[in-house]
Order: sequence, then C-alpha cells, then structure tokens
Amino acid sequence: MTDDRRPERAAEGQMPGELRPDGGVAPGTRLGAARHAPRVGVFVCHCGINIGGVVRVPELVERVRAIPGIAVATDYQYCCSDPGQQIIRDAIKEHSLDRVVVACCSPTLHETTFRRASADAGLNQYLCEIANIREQCAWVTPDRDEATDKAESIVRMAIARAVNDAPLEPVGVDVNKRALVIGAGIAGIQSALDIANAGYEVVLVEKEPSIGGHMAQLSETFPTLDCSQCILTPRTVEAGRHPNIRLYSYSEVAEVSGYVGNFKVRIRQKPRYVDFDACTGCGLCMEKCPGRSESSFERGLTKQKAIYRLLPQAVPNRPVINADVCIYLQKGKCGVCAKICPTQAIRYDDKEKFVEEEVGAIVMATGYELIDHVKMGNYGIGRVPDVIDGLAFERLLSASGPTQGEVKRPSDGKTPKKVVFVQCAGSRDQEHGMPYCSKICCMYTAKQAILYKHRVHDGEAYVCYIDVRTPGKGFEEFYKRATDEGITYIRGKVSKIFRRGDKTVVWTADTLAGRKVELEADLVVLASAVIANPEGVKLARQLKLQVDQHGFQTEAHPKLRPVETLTGGFFLAGCGQGPKDIPETVAQASAAAAKVLAMFGQKRLFHAPTTASVDEDVCVGCGNCEKTCAYGAVQVDPKRRVAVVNVALCEGCGACAVACPSGAMSHNNFSKKGTYEMVDRA
Amino acid sequence: MTTAVAAKPGEQAEDNPVVETYTYYPGCTLYTKAKSLDRCARLAAEKVGFRLEEMPSWVCCGAIYNTSEDDFAGRIGAQRNIVRASALGDRLVTLCAACHNVLKRAQARLNDPANAVERQRVLDFLDEPYEREVRVLHYLEVLKNDIGWEALARKVVKPLAGLKVASYYGCLMVRPAAVLGFDDPENPQVMDELVRTLGGEPTGFDFKAECCGGYLVVNRPEAARVASARVLDNAKSWGAEAVVTTCPLCQYNLDKLRKPGKAGELPVFYFTQLLGLAVGLPKDELGFDSNAVDPVPLLEKRGLL
Repeated sequence: MTDDRRPERAAEGQMPGELRPDGGVAPGTRLGAARHAPRVGVFVCHCGINIGGVVRVPELVERVRAIPGIAVATDYQYCCSDPGQQIIRDAIKEHSLDRVVVACCSPTLHETTFRRASADAGLNQYLCEIANIREQCAWVTPDRDEATDKAESIVRMAIARAVNDAPLEPVGVDVNKRALVIGAGIAGIQSALDIANAGYEVVLVEKEPSIGGHMAQLSETFPTLDCSQCILTPRTVEAGRHPNIRLYSYSEVAEVSGYVGNFKVRIRQKPRYVDFDACTGCGLCMEKCPGRSESSFERGLTKQKAIYRLLPQAVPNRPVINADVCIYLQKGKCGVCAKICPTQAIRYDDKEKFVEEEVGAIVMATGYELIDHVKMGNYGIGRVPDVIDGLAFERLLSASGPTQGEVKRPSDGKTPKKVVFVQCAGSRDQEHGMPYCSKICCMYTAKQAILYKHRVHDGEAYVCYIDVRTPGKGFEEFYKRATDEGITYIRGKVSKIFRRGDKTVVWTADTLAGRKVELEADLVVLASAVIANPEGVKLARQLKLQVDQHGFQTEAHPKLRPVETLTGGFFLAGCGQGPKDIPETVAQASAAAAKVLAMFGQKRLFHAPTTASVDEDVCVGCGNCEKTCAYGAVQVDPKRRVAVVNVALCEGCGACAVACPSGAMSHNNFSKKGTYEMVDRA
Repeated sequence: MTTAVAAKPGEQAEDNPVVETYTYYPGCTLYTKAKSLDRCARLAAEKVGFRLEEMPSWVCCGAIYNTSEDDFAGRIGAQRNIVRASALGDRLVTLCAACHNVLKRAQARLNDPANAVERQRVLDFLDEPYEREVRVLHYLEVLKNDIGWEALARKVVKPLAGLKVASYYGCLMVRPAAVLGFDDPENPQVMDELVRTLGGEPTGFDFKAECCGGYLVVNRPEAARVASARVLDNAKSWGAEAVVTTCPLCQYNLDKLRKPGKAGELPVFYFTQLLGLAVGLPKDELGFDSNAVDPVPLLEKRGLL
C-alpha cells in the first residue's frame, strides 16, 4: 500500500527527489519506478520574444540550476525546432537523465513533440513534463520581475510533478472497423459513402422513412442554381445500394455503450406497417388511401396520405403508415391499402423492433431544424396564412413540391405579385430568438428572390436585411446578381408582420434613408433561424457529448480539431455542429470520414495511460466514483465489491479520485502526493 | 376602508369548504371609470370559488412605473402598497393592467438583492413593517394557475357559444416579460384561453400587444384614435365581433374614442364582464350601460341575454 498522505513540508530550497527517494510511484500503478534520486533536466524555451521578451530566461536558468539535484538546465530560442529537440535528446544521453521538464508553451501544443523526443533518446515518454510559462505566465504577466518569479514557480512545480511520475505504457485496444453514421442527410450520406468506398462497413441510421434530409426539400442551390434533387439523388441512390452500407431508415439510435473502437449500439426500428421485402414500391396504396395528415416534409403546405413516402425519388422506395391518422389502425375499419396491395405487403400488426450493431467509430450527422414559430409571435408565422418559412418556399419552388414549382400562396392559391423576404427571422436576435448568425440565409434568400423573379416575371421582390453577409466563393457576385435582377434590398429589422384583408403587411425601417417603411405584400417568406435538430440535441446529451448553450455539438478544438469531439470515437459532420451550407457540410462530412478512416488504418488504438486507477486493497466499493464518472468508465464489480476502471473509456478527468472517500482512487501521474509537493514547491 | 366581502364561518357554500382569500388592490380607476371591471371581478370570484379581500388604506400605484435609476420617490407609492399588503398575506391580486405592471415591477425591484441599499432606504422611509415577500398576481393568473381552466369550465353556467372574441392585451399586461413572467410578450394567450374556457371562440389577431394610443388621448386624441382604430380594424379582419381587455385605458381608447352608434363597431368588454356573464351573474350586475358601444344587441343575437 502506498503512503499517499500529505508529506511533510519540504525544507526551503531542497530538491524534491531527495526528500523521498522512494516517492516516484503513483499510487495504483504497478510499473515500478526509479529507486534512486531522479536526475532531472530542465529546458527553457524563449519562443522568440513570446517568452523571452518578458521572462528573463538566462536568470531563470541560473535559478533552476541552483535547485539541488538538477542534472542539467539550459535554454534555447525554439525548443520545438529540430536542433532544439536534439539538445534534449543529447542531454538525456549525456547526463543519463530520467526526468525531463520543458518550460515552454501549453502542453496542448508541444507536449507530444517533447515526449516523442524524449522517447527517441530512450526515456519513457510519460517522464517528460511541460511547464507552461507562455500562456500561463509570459502572456499574462507584463512585469518582467514578476514574470520571472512566476516562471520559476511553474518550473519548480513541474519538477515536483516529474519526480513523482511513473513510467507508463499507452493502453492498447482493438478496433472494430465498422462505423455508425447517425443521420442520413447530405452530411451523413457523404460520410457513409466515403467510409464505405474505402472498404469498411457502415451502419447508416435515419429517423425519416427515406434519406436525403433537408437537402431533398430544396429546389435549387446557391450560388450556381443547380437543382438540388439532381445533385443529391445520385448520392442517395448510391448510399441505398452500396454493398458496404447497411441502411436503417425510419429508425433511431436508442442506446450506445462501450468505448472508442468497441461500441455497442441499440437501434430502434419504428413500425412501418409495410413489409420491407414484400413491398415493391409501386405506390398503389398511396393513391387510394383516404387518411390525411399534415406533411412536415412539405412544411404544412399540403396534406399527405396516411400511407406515404416523402418524395418520388425516395430511398428506400418503401412507404410507411402514419399510425396516428390511419383509419384502420385507429378505428379498425378501412384497410384499403391491404386490399389493393398486389404483393400483400401491408402489416397492420407491425411492432417496433430493436437491433444491436457493433461499431468502432460514430459520426454524428444529426442536422438542423428551423426555429419554432411560437418564438416569433410578432412575425405572425403559424397565424397569418401567407407568412411561410424558407423551407416552405423551397417546396413552392420545387418541381416535386405541392404546386409543381409554380409559386402559389397558401391562403388562396393565387400567384403572389409582391413577395417580401425577411432575413434574420430569429437569428442575431437575443430578444426573440438566437444570438448567432445562421450563416446560410443571406445566400438562400438571394437565391429564392432570384428564382421567384424567374418564375413570376412581373413580380416584385423585396429583401429586408440587417446586413448582407457573403463570405464564400461566388457569394458576393451572387448577391450582386440579385440586386442587378431588380430585387429591392431594404436595410432594417422587421418589427411586425400582420394581416390586412388578403394582404400581409410588413412593418420595417429603411435605416439608410432614416424612415419607417410599410410594405403590403402578397406573400412573406421568413429566413428563420437555423437551430440544432432538437432530437439530435437530445441524443447528444444522452450520449454525453458536449453541446454548447444552443445545443450544437462541440468540436474538440474550434480551429485545429473541427470534426472530432472530446469523447473518443465520436466525430461531427454537418449542421448538428453549427449552421453551414452544403459545400461546407460535405467538406466536414468527408473530413469526419477521413478521421474515421485514419482510426481504422491503425492495428490497435492507443489511449493515454494517465487514467484513473484503483487501489483495490483500500476500495470499499461505495460506488461514489461510478456515480461521478461522466464517461461510464468506472463500475463497481458486484462480486468483489471493488471499483474497476475501464481504462479504454477513462478520459483521465480525475473526478472519481476527488469523489473517493477512502483515497483508493487516484490518477496515474497525478497523485495526491505529487500534487501536494507541487503546491509546496510553488 | 371596508373589506368588500367578509367571510363568516358557516356561510361558506357546501361544495367549497375552504374558500381561498386573496388580498386585493383595486386601484383608483376601478372606483371611477372602470367600475364594471371591479364589480364583475368580485362577484365572479365568489361564483368561481375564491374571495377578494380589499386591502385597507391603499394608495395610488403611480400609474406609470418609474424606470429612472436614482429616483426612488417615483416608486414609493407602489412599494408602500406592497409593504402594507405584506401584513395581510403573501399574495396581492390586481386587475388593472397598469396597476399590475407597476406593482409587479416595483415589487421585483424591492425584492432584488442587487438593490439592497435602496430597499433599506425605502423601508426606512416608509417606516412600516415589511412582513414577507409579496407576490403580485393578476386576476387572470389566479384563474389560470390557482383555479385552473378545467375547474373554471365546470363553473360556467352560460357558455359564450358562438361569440367570436379578439383578446387585446395592450402594452402593459405582458411586458417586460422578464419581470411580468406572465405570457408570451409578442403573442400572449391567457385571455384567449379564458375565452375558450368560457365557451367562446377566441379569434386571435395580430395586434394583441400593440399600443392603443395610451395617454396620447389626453393631449393628442387624434393620434390615439389612429392607434386604437388600427387595433380594432385588425381584430375585425380576423372575424372578431367583440374585443376583450384587462386595461381601463385600453378599454377607454378602443371603446369611447369612436363615434357612438356607428354601425359595425365592436363592443369592448372587460374580461370580467364576460367571465361574470358566463358564470351566471345577472345582467344588471355586468355594467353594460358603461360601454360606449352597446354590447347588448350582440349578446342577445347570440342568445346570451
């Protein structure tokens, strides 16, 4: 049993290693450690003037050298450069170092670099520690004397930590080389195809009866005006018949367990009431069905049958029955579809089913929705019939939509001669909606206004905007085209939209002219804010993935790790991570696939061994750690009544070590003893 | 001051063994121009199963909430009422939208820990015991949250069947939403729910929370007339045949700024008048004679009188 109580306070200036020559073992590790006083080398980086311009590096090196037991202390302009790393390698050999401390930038940047350099020279990489004297010292401490003192404290702490470090070996786990992609919009389809084309199996789960997501609802795409269906359907068809893709449509992910490389997934298949194999997709049932419901795919512009498919090019081309409006399932009468079906594929007794799949990596492609109408009471949407959102207008423009591409307004089916487009309906609006910019609306509004003018030549189109944002290839030119084609842009935030007779009135301002404006329109189209798909938010929370305050899934690093998450094995694609347009979505989806493939290219996965570990002799099996663990990595063995850490799942956060009342749980190379010594040396 | 309806044990109706009593702040307008708002509310409460007990020696609420940071005198009247009400209970019910707005905001400021210094100054000045935190409630909040729409529906003896009503909330009922915490500030619902509960048809409309013209009626009546006409025109376009409101000033502007007797004008009710009608108050208690646009023909046409 390791003595893990707080050590006596060290005498001033004494070398930590001398105090407790046997203190190198982190509790719980069984790897053995140096039995002699560790020989520490300290390397201080100038980082040009980043550190050197504030911290007096030569003085710092002198002070560090004076600490007893330091075998070598030196400085260099850029330690991360090749010659800088060579200095460390040479010193390890020349001075027989068994601990290395590099005083430089944050460990998130170069810890790996220096650990690898140490390993090259034969030192266990976990015996190399970083003292962050840039972000945590030089950049935030303007006074040179204070900065030098602070840097010394930080280096002393890193030395104290290093001498308590134990040599560790990375944890290896096998990889199940199958991927799960959640959501089959364009993001999920792209990820799935990329992974499948590389020769790996993909499980693709989609909650709707067919794949394609919101892109299947769009008419044309900006800024090229090519037909959305025409560029999407080759992908949906390919995904539908790809030998490496197992598609679960009308299904949802119910549960995920396991860890990176080895997930178990429980998938809930909603009852379709149609035998998937017997059905040929002929569509006779849909012609005769008398049941009706609101169509969310058509954004409420038309009713759909109780037995329905979303679109003519549906993949898979199999209808489902909406049990809420099916007359037979509700009242036991009707049964027309069963009578008419030439292959007897209708199954009124269908039940939901669960299937299990095993995968190694998961791509979250859960997508977006538009903001709830209720949040925008002053814009009248949901109340005033001729106020619709952008997706509904896409359906009006679409050749496969309820009007076959003719622009007709919902209230009376007349062709609107004056259409007002309202941008930032819920975006950039802290009072009513979301504080962020939804990114796609400026462009799709310009596109919709252009398309409207192409369909209705004598029509007038107005766009009310607060700013027009065009950061994308060909975007500014596209906006210019919209204004050149006679679309009137009015700069001002719309305050109210209401009905007057058969007109819809928009109150706004022209802030460039400095006056109030009232527009009497035949149809108003809101560029409603893009929000994270609420079901995706629920799922992400259930899977304990990090989401931001608006529900968007959070990437591991906003710049350098944009498709990874902080949970191993989960990757992000598409609007579930934040609003983005189609090209950006596809790029991110391919990036996520590339990350999955990079994982699958390895024989085994290696996980940092700086995890929690249990001293089983001390553990009483109270289960506090199990309750605390956010990753499900700790469980109490029911037979032996001791906690067991699944090192493959453990992210090394240390919460369990804090929660443990008996001191049995600790964190490899972050022991209590080492921590107390760090505090003492600071 | 008198207590409006004193409770005597043994007089309670048998189906209501415990009658909730709420401290009640009527406000000055309810004693003058808006008598029917007050009278119907008190009598309907008895029918519904709760009691309003008017607080003694109430003072003017100030009519408009003073938002200036340093002028605490402008809020002192409202806060005096709250401090006095604290001796009687932890709830204070109001009816007038303006009183409700001022009292609720004054109370929020009084209880805000960030304003502890000002609070002490106010309490020192008032020199009356502040017994407990008082929740300022609107009568509609009592109906919706304490009584509940289902229970209220059971008290309806004369459903307002076929009556198409636009609910007009004005600017004071639901804003600022963060303090009033009452309903959606842009498309409020509570009165629409009330109308539905009473058996009527809420039409919904676009100008529920737009300005009626307010106090402009005093110095620029023409501007107020334009504003209130806009509200009424929009209500009409939604098929409404009557408007219901909580605010005496809104009622005045919508009802009395028009030429009396003009055909097609919508009667403007206080919500308590419709409530009273539905729970069975007799016609002469409902105060229809104070309405400029006579609602009686409409109600007779719908078979409600």
